[in-house]
Amino acid sequence: MKADRLHALAEAYGADLRRWPASERVFAESLIAADPSLKTALAQAAALDALLDASPAPTPSADLTARLLAAAPKAKTRRYHLDRIALFLGAGWAAAACAGVVAGVGLTTHVTADERADAVLYQSTLVEVDDTEVLG
Amino acid sequence: MVAIVDPDEDLVRRVGQGDPAAAQTLVSRKLPRILALAQRMLGDAAEAEDVAQETLLKAWRQAPKWTPGKARFDTWLHRVALNLCYDRLRRRREIPMETPPDRPDDGPAPDRALLAAETGAQVDGALIRLPDRQREAVVLCHYQELSNIEAAALMSISVEALESLLSRGRRALRLALADLAPGMKPGMTKGVGR
Repeated sequence: MKADRLHALAEAYGADLRRWPASERVFAESLIAADPSLKTALAQAAALDALLDASPAPTPSADLTARLLAAAPKAKTRRYHLDRIALFLGAGWAAAACAGVVAGVGLTTHVTADERADAVLYQSTLVEVDDTEVLG
Repeated sequence: MVAIVDPDEDLVRRVGQGDPAAAQTLVSRKLPRILALAQRMLGDAAEAEDVAQETLLKAWRQAPKWTPGKARFDTWLHRVALNLCYDRLRRRREIPMETPPDRPDDGPAPDRALLAAETGAQVDGALIRLPDRQREAVVLCHYQELSNIEAAALMSISVEALESLLSRGRRALRLALADLAPGMKPGMTKGVGR
């Protein structure tokens, strides 16, 4: 790197070498170490840097911060899972209730059929009794 | 393609998942930066706040679908904020403003704090009078402390073009602020006659 390049870099990026292109920092440092008179260029740039730093950085208002935080993404995924779990639980209860109804109806039909069969057998027995009574 | 290392990657992922602590961290880390960028680009506190708010709201929408490795989130935020700033700067040119942006009227400056405020206001004034692209280059490199490669990429120009904008911008600032630093020579550079 030549001295002209160092002046050009100071003109563009200022005196703080951290703002300089990373690839040229080491060369700049070695050049300045070899020729301390080059520090003058940096001192001039530093004067402008100091003035620029007098520009105050604004502070975000509490109101703006609060508005933004209120609008931040919410944990939708977790809530969605909870909703799904609630839905599945509800569906489970409904299915269990349906199964209960079906089983109840089936059992009732089965029991009724047995009772009906017994009744028919009993009635057939009674027919014989009736016949006896009628025929003497 | 080399994946870009992004120091905000984990934070953005957590924001996208709805982690309120991550949102708080992102706001405290990025809002002052974006507000400062907009303030210096626009020279108007109210407009800067609108731009900062809009930028962060876009960030909330982007976070759940953010793809790491393609760009740094901070660079993306700067791109969004700069676009919003340029929209407003264009509107200003279309509808000329009756009065220039607010400047604090500090009146007499009896103490150091007021003197500093006065200097700051003069610097802001000189900054806002720069051509937009020169101001953008100075703001990105000096105030936002972006690397030359990041700033050039954001501005869609080469690093050489960025250096040219920076040199011209800083030279104009030195001229405008010469009264504040009498020792500062307006044409300091040796052998760089741009």
